[in-house]
Amino acid sequence: MTDQLTTDPTKPAQRMRAGSMVLPLTPWVIAAIALLILPFIFTANSAITIMNQMAITIIFALAYNMLLGQGGMLSFGHAVYAGVGGFACMHIINNDAFFSNLPLPLLPIFGGLFGMGLAMIVGSFSTRKAGTVFAMISLGVGELIAACSVIIVAFFGGEEGISGDRTYGLPFLGVEFLQQIEVYYLIAVWLMVSAALMYLYSRTPLGRMANAVRDNPERAEFLGYSARWVRFYSFVASGFFAGIAGALFAINYEILTEENLNTTQSGIILLVTFLGGVGFFFGPILGAIVFTLVQTVLSLQTELWGFYLGIVFVVTVMFFPGGLAGLIMMHVPAKRLGKLGRLGLPYLKTLGAGALGCLGAAALIEMVFHVRHASVGDHEITVYWTTFDTHGVLPWVLAIGATVIGFGLARATAPGLVAAWNDANTPDGAAR
Amino acid sequence: MTAALQLSGLRKSFGKTEIIRGVDLSIGRGERHAVIGPNGAGKSTLFNLITGRFPQSAGTITLHGEDLAGKAPFEINRMGLSRSFQITNIFPKMTVFENVRCSLLWSMGYRYNFWSMVGRSRALTEGAEQILEQINLTARRDLPAGVLSYAEQRALEIGITIAGGADVIMLDEPTAGMSHSETDYIVDLIRKVTTGKTLVMVEHDMGVVFGLADQISVLVYGEIIATGTPEAVRANPKVQEAYLGAALEDH
Amino acid sequence: MDLILVNLIDGLVTGLLLFMLSAGLTLIFSMMGVLNFAHASFYMLGAYFAFQISLALGFWMGLLIAPLVVGVMGAGVERYGLRRVHQYGHVPELIFTFGLALLIEELVQFIWGKNQMPYEAPEILQFTAFAIAGNSIPAYKIFMIFISVAIFIGLLWVLTRTRVGMIIQAALTYPKTVEALGHNVPLIFMGVFGVGTALAGVAGVIAGPVLGTFPGMAFVLGSIVFVTIVIGGLGSLWGALVASLLIGWITTFSKAYNLRMEDLLTTLGFTKPEPIWDSPWRDLWSITSPQIADILPYILMVLILIFRPYGLFGKRDA
Repeated sequence: MTDQLTTDPTKPAQRMRAGSMVLPLTPWVIAAIALLILPFIFTANSAITIMNQMAITIIFALAYNMLLGQGGMLSFGHAVYAGVGGFACMHIINNDAFFSNLPLPLLPIFGGLFGMGLAMIVGSFSTRKAGTVFAMISLGVGELIAACSVIIVAFFGGEEGISGDRTYGLPFLGVEFLQQIEVYYLIAVWLMVSAALMYLYSRTPLGRMANAVRDNPERAEFLGYSARWVRFYSFVASGFFAGIAGALFAINYEILTEENLNTTQSGIILLVTFLGGVGFFFGPILGAIVFTLVQTVLSLQTELWGFYLGIVFVVTVMFFPGGLAGLIMMHVPAKRLGKLGRLGLPYLKTLGAGALGCLGAAALIEMVFHVRHASVGDHEITVYWTTFDTHGVLPWVLAIGATVIGFGLARATAPGLVAAWNDANTPDGAAR
Repeated sequence: MTAALQLSGLRKSFGKTEIIRGVDLSIGRGERHAVIGPNGAGKSTLFNLITGRFPQSAGTITLHGEDLAGKAPFEINRMGLSRSFQITNIFPKMTVFENVRCSLLWSMGYRYNFWSMVGRSRALTEGAEQILEQINLTARRDLPAGVLSYAEQRALEIGITIAGGADVIMLDEPTAGMSHSETDYIVDLIRKVTTGKTLVMVEHDMGVVFGLADQISVLVYGEIIATGTPEAVRANPKVQEAYLGAALEDH
Repeated sequence: MDLILVNLIDGLVTGLLLFMLSAGLTLIFSMMGVLNFAHASFYMLGAYFAFQISLALGFWMGLLIAPLVVGVMGAGVERYGLRRVHQYGHVPELIFTFGLALLIEELVQFIWGKNQMPYEAPEILQFTAFAIAGNSIPAYKIFMIFISVAIFIGLLWVLTRTRVGMIIQAALTYPKTVEALGHNVPLIFMGVFGVGTALAGVAGVIAGPVLGTFPGMAFVLGSIVFVTIVIGGLGSLWGALVASLLIGWITTFSKAYNLRMEDLLTTLGFTKPEPIWDSPWRDLWSITSPQIADILPYILMVLILIFRPYGLFGKRDA
């Protein structure tokens, strides 16, 4: 909020014209170029796999934020719309007669339509109310559909799920999508298209009213709009793009199981979106990129990755409700005043010390976990590329020392950071 | 000619308590009608009944001859009735300009449109700017509405209320909690923006009532005890006895 | 007839257990407007704490101490977590409790690992109370019923007969007024949150030996508890009771009696498509009631929401 408070009211007109009459094309062009050249920089197969997953997560997170950020609707069961879209696509892939006449790049449209169809059915009763009631219904319906996956075997394939072969489709411009890199570009194109459509949607009358209903449903009703129908349309649109993400998942992995539907999956997308920041369009994109990267790296390094994630998430909700995007946008006023540079050193001091503290604490956690749960006689642990004996005194002293000193220093330097922050956000010459 | 707003035998009970006890009222087109009465007389309830916030227990409400029974607030709004609220009710996180633009969308025929860009519509932008001009908030257009001063928020609320082009405007205590100079400012504003429209308002400030209204109804304990021109109401002994006496002697 | 009685008892046990969770949840909701997603996590903590205490001091001390510890933790969460998030609105509050549920599950795995804990009912209760037509009813089940009913009578007494209860009831509806009368409403909120979570803790202590003490136990019961209070009507204590018992009995009975969809469809006059394994409807025809027992609450919830959006006992404007 603070960044908005300091918006300069003296020259509204020209900024307005620059802002909304011309589409801000630059970030889109940069994103397109980046998507185009990324595979040339990261050529390894594993890198392509990660980027594919990242792109799918971005679409899904953006679709989720159409609900959470734009519409103020918290869903605990959004994985089912992506999942059902994906399952439907899997069935299309397995239907030889139809699929051999369908170019693979068009398949996501069907995924979207199925996701949208399900959203229309569920939305017809779940969007009557926002807030807690909506959240509970989304959870119940999500659980119901996830539980159905073991009962309705014909559609969900029971425990093994449904798998298929994407290369049986009609070749598209001679491409059969046998290789990961071909799939990458397919996903990348769909990412650009869906992201652009979702961005434009937020600029339509319905998209604007979704914000209005989020902030004040009653007032919106007295402006001629039914809050319920505005929510319904947002929900359906979100279901469509979630379905596209599900279809891309089906194309990329060629298998869908119950895991694509369950609450864990729904929880992850909430996490990704919220960590990225629900208040800005690019928040979920950021969230998906960072989350996928950190997950890939950390989950290989430690069993306790979920524990750290839980801590980070709770801390974010409590102290940085704007998420990553919110943190970045907080710095806009300082940048506008040209005083961003003054924050550099204080940041370095406090955050550096904080990082040391976090590393120490993480080492402690790892060591405690190892001592408690490792098999009897196993005293060796590898933390930060160093292998040592968890029953020796020195590692504990070091870890505790790093934790205490790190957090202590961070605490001691925090007032300096606050002062620097206030200074950077005050125009020169203004009275404090 | 049918009345703009017609209430007959209107009643409303909450549990066993009857708050509105049989109100008959006819408000003609283009009339500026003020509803006054002591605290707890049921003025706000009356407003909420008319605008569909609560269902009535008995009686009928007609807007331009059409029955409003069972209609949701958004349907009533589409029929040409718009209201403001006693407690400021705007979209605090959106900019002032967006607040006004959102209130124009339905009346400009956009409905649940998801294929045209609001930023591209000259008519929308100009319409919203015109309203901003009328309520003197052009300089504030890009601020989030939540940071405006109280009087500015009230002005914005009136702007949102009239933006949709409704011909019956209902204002619930538009000057509540304002200083004298702010009140004068809002009264001028209301007079300006409601020209040619039917105005129904609840108000405590007698200066505002006698300055704006050409018809006054006095609501006491859920019943209207008098309706008429300001002079007639002022002279009505029943009103003086029930409510106005002291206030008028001071005035 | 005898089997019905056995199932009635089993369903009652499940229902009362659910009510012990949903009562706290719905009390907290109607007072603070926030649905505590982590409620079932406190139930899990109750079971784990009681297990840990029972190793050293035995089952009965666990029953006494664990709920207190859980209650204090709950109050702490309200005081230092929720109260801070409250300023951002209801949706962030819900997200906060969701994150808390995740964190507690991870924490439990961190401390106790992923395996089920050998948490058992005390030996003194490991006998058959009585038998109905060859079906033995363990004494522990009777004990569970006794404990839950006793707690509810206590709760009801506190809420309706004591001064504190009166203030709480008033604060439920008119927090501002109660605050203006000089009562410390934040303290009341914290207290109710603590008591609600302590109730969940009690449920965990007594359910742990029967349903198993493992990291997924919160999740298994949690979503059913939310469904319960949606069915009962958000914020309604009586609704929570009725819905809990309803769900307890429905799931128990549908597990005990093997009703087959095939029979139902045939009775309704449909003919079974042959061969069945090729029909797109094969899954519909092969459904049996034990198979869908666990998803019946969700189906019930969807039906209730369609036909009675405010739940069984919910107020229209809730």
